[in-house]
Amino acid sequence: MAATVVSEAPAERRTGRNGRDPKGGKGPRLGRNRRWVWLFLTPTIVLYGVYTVYPILASYWYSFVEWNGFDADKTWVGLANYRAVLADPLFWNSFRITILFMVAVVPLKVLLTLLLALVLNSPKLPMRTLFRTAFFLPVVTTTAIVGVVMQFVFDPASGPVNVLLRKFGVVADGINFLGDPKTALWTVVGVYIWKWFGVTLIYWLAALQTVPDEVYEAAAIDGAGPWRLLRHVTLPLLKPFVVIITLLTLESTLKVFDLMLTMTNGGPFYATEVVEIYIYRWAFAASVPQLGFASAAAVAFGLFVGLVGVLQLLGIRAARKTRSAR
Amino acid sequence: MISRRRFLGASAGAMLGGLAAAACSTAPGGGQAAGAKALRCWDHFQPREDLHKKLFADFQKSHGTAVDYTVYNPNQQGQALQLAFNSKQLPDVFTTAGVKLPQARLRKEGWIAPIQLEQKDLAAMPAEVFLNGFTHFDDKLYSLPLVNFRQYGTLTWYNAELAEKAGLDPEKDLATWDGFRAAAAKIEKAGGDGVSGWIAPLQFAERMGEHVSDLAMAAGGSGAVDPRTGEYSYATDPYVHAIEFLVSLKQDGLLFPASSSLDARTARARWSTGVAGLFFDGPWNIGVVNDQFKPFLDKVGVVAMPSAEAGKPVFVYAPPKAGDYCVAATSQHAEAAADLVKLFTTKEVMLAEAEQMDGMPVDLALVDQANVHPTYKTAAGIFRRQMRLRPAPEVRNPAVSEVTAEMKQIEPDLGAIVQGVLSGQVKDARKALTEYDGKLTAERARAVKAVAAKGTKVTLDDWAFANWVPGQDYGRDKYKTS
Repeated sequence: MAATVVSEAPAERRTGRNGRDPKGGKGPRLGRNRRWVWLFLTPTIVLYGVYTVYPILASYWYSFVEWNGFDADKTWVGLANYRAVLADPLFWNSFRITILFMVAVVPLKVLLTLLLALVLNSPKLPMRTLFRTAFFLPVVTTTAIVGVVMQFVFDPASGPVNVLLRKFGVVADGINFLGDPKTALWTVVGVYIWKWFGVTLIYWLAALQTVPDEVYEAAAIDGAGPWRLLRHVTLPLLKPFVVIITLLTLESTLKVFDLMLTMTNGGPFYATEVVEIYIYRWAFAASVPQLGFASAAAVAFGLFVGLVGVLQLLGIRAARKTRSAR
Repeated sequence: MISRRRFLGASAGAMLGGLAAAACSTAPGGGQAAGAKALRCWDHFQPREDLHKKLFADFQKSHGTAVDYTVYNPNQQGQALQLAFNSKQLPDVFTTAGVKLPQARLRKEGWIAPIQLEQKDLAAMPAEVFLNGFTHFDDKLYSLPLVNFRQYGTLTWYNAELAEKAGLDPEKDLATWDGFRAAAAKIEKAGGDGVSGWIAPLQFAERMGEHVSDLAMAAGGSGAVDPRTGEYSYATDPYVHAIEFLVSLKQDGLLFPASSSLDARTARARWSTGVAGLFFDGPWNIGVVNDQFKPFLDKVGVVAMPSAEAGKPVFVYAPPKAGDYCVAATSQHAEAAADLVKLFTTKEVMLAEAEQMDGMPVDLALVDQANVHPTYKTAAGIFRRQMRLRPAPEVRNPAVSEVTAEMKQIEPDLGAIVQGVLSGQVKDARKALTEYDGKLTAERARAVKAVAAKGTKVTLDDWAFANWVPGQDYGRDKYKTS
């Protein structure tokens, strides 16, 4: 255990050459180093404070006031905005769509990327790096551009998807993928999975690198074929990562604003309006913006995301425990 | 060595200090550009951008003041102004596109100041465009109008080539809803594969709502609020029938398939490629086609929007229009800003503005003298014939603006309901419109109560005008007897 090692270390190692405790930072070199560390950290801390912490705190404050963003004065209304948000059926509609989106994306994305990672991890596969790069490429493409391009790709009149479907006789008329409430959400689900496929794929590939080669070799000597290797070696050793990767994917699906806005703008008739678009609509796109109301919705949703974050934390801890027990 | 705790404390202190300093900054000059002498001007008149740049360059030569000019998309301008106001960086001169609060409220909140122009400076402009409660408050000019209230955004624009191919006489065949429907079918048939009868910006719910409102008035309606009673009238037959008319076009398969993903700009762009024959839009359509889709210019024709019944005169009612250019109350160069606004009051500039073929000029007669596309002149003629001034409660009682500002948006609104009906998600349009009417009525009553509680005299009767006569302009004199 680390604590034991420290207690058994020679006295000079623990106290430093000048006899002072290095943790106390009294040594001149360490002290200087720490000053540099803090100097380099300062911009990040200040910027994070100004652009992340401050807006979060401000949104909590705004959620208790009535303010349209145009007036100079804000009126304190207590919990009225929260009551209004929770009583709005369109908020719950957007919440339902957000959850539906999450439930549809997470299993598909986690499973598909795992399957592909297993293939791409095989040393027998030629041009592995090329394939990995190709699958990661959409991740580094600007989401808004992807959204706009996808509008053309799924265009019912002249989009390549419909042209192909018509050419092969699958449909007589073009399918209105993004304009039909029955297909719009699922089309975005598909595009989202494709767009962010590479991230989850990298997680799995990283996880696969933790499986020691010796275990595979030992299993192979024992006569295990590829299927048995997968079932009895790879998958059991990947178990701790399933929790982490699933939770990371789950949390990331709550951030779909840019893609949804550019592909469907939340429509048709709120059919793809996730909570983020609901907040944006009230804060900026309403005829008279309701920043207090929108902030209350944002805080309520933020608490939900926070809950997912707590689950993530617990999941990661559980996974670590499983790994260390292994 | 500084401790971590002390460092974090110092960082937090520095950050808060910085924020406090930023919050206290008054950004002198209402956010003047560096160099202090430049005026900043924001507007949303994209088709007039080149003209305005030239005017401002001439202004710099004659007045020695540079103009930092930005043209915004109307929606983005609302957000930009919102941020600018809160950070005390409003431009010296700006239009209020995207800001849906009445100018009366903006004035009260310290956005805008009187424009330092005298009566003689406005002599070339028609007197009817100025009205207390809209362009003026307490007889002081707060916003200069550039665009006429006599215009609507539902003119029927047609592809003349396709119309000819289909053997149509647009004036006659596109005059009624039934005719429009039959004409769209003929165009689709004559155009062949890939050509639709009608294209619409279904993703732009607000525009779809405007189309339905205009079509409802073409069916005998009097607009969202009945001026006689002051009641909301979305759930009346004209609105329901107008929506049913649009649904019938979709059911006939005449709607361009990708319409649900299009806003006004993209729908216009697609229409100009010849994929659809008919398109509802305002008079600015021809200006944009001229700017961006020139090869299509000769194929464009326009007629009035279709009416529900043949032979019945159509009247479209619009309230008086607030002005366009305002001067920021925070501007340190109010005089120079007024000089800049003054540019737009001369006949020469108004004529040049008309020639950009954007919104109709304040003096419609100028269109006849202007060098513009024939369709723009046709549109001006249609507006002269069909547009009427409706009464505005704000003129009779300025406190109505407070109620308007107090009212919260009701969702789904008309545009969203139209979108829902066309996508099949709203099965019963009349029921949805009745609910919308009810919610609006309740919200207005609440807002009236809230404003009245502050000691302002306002009642629901302020919306009713017993002396309103359909088909007539409600001029200034009518308010005296209302």
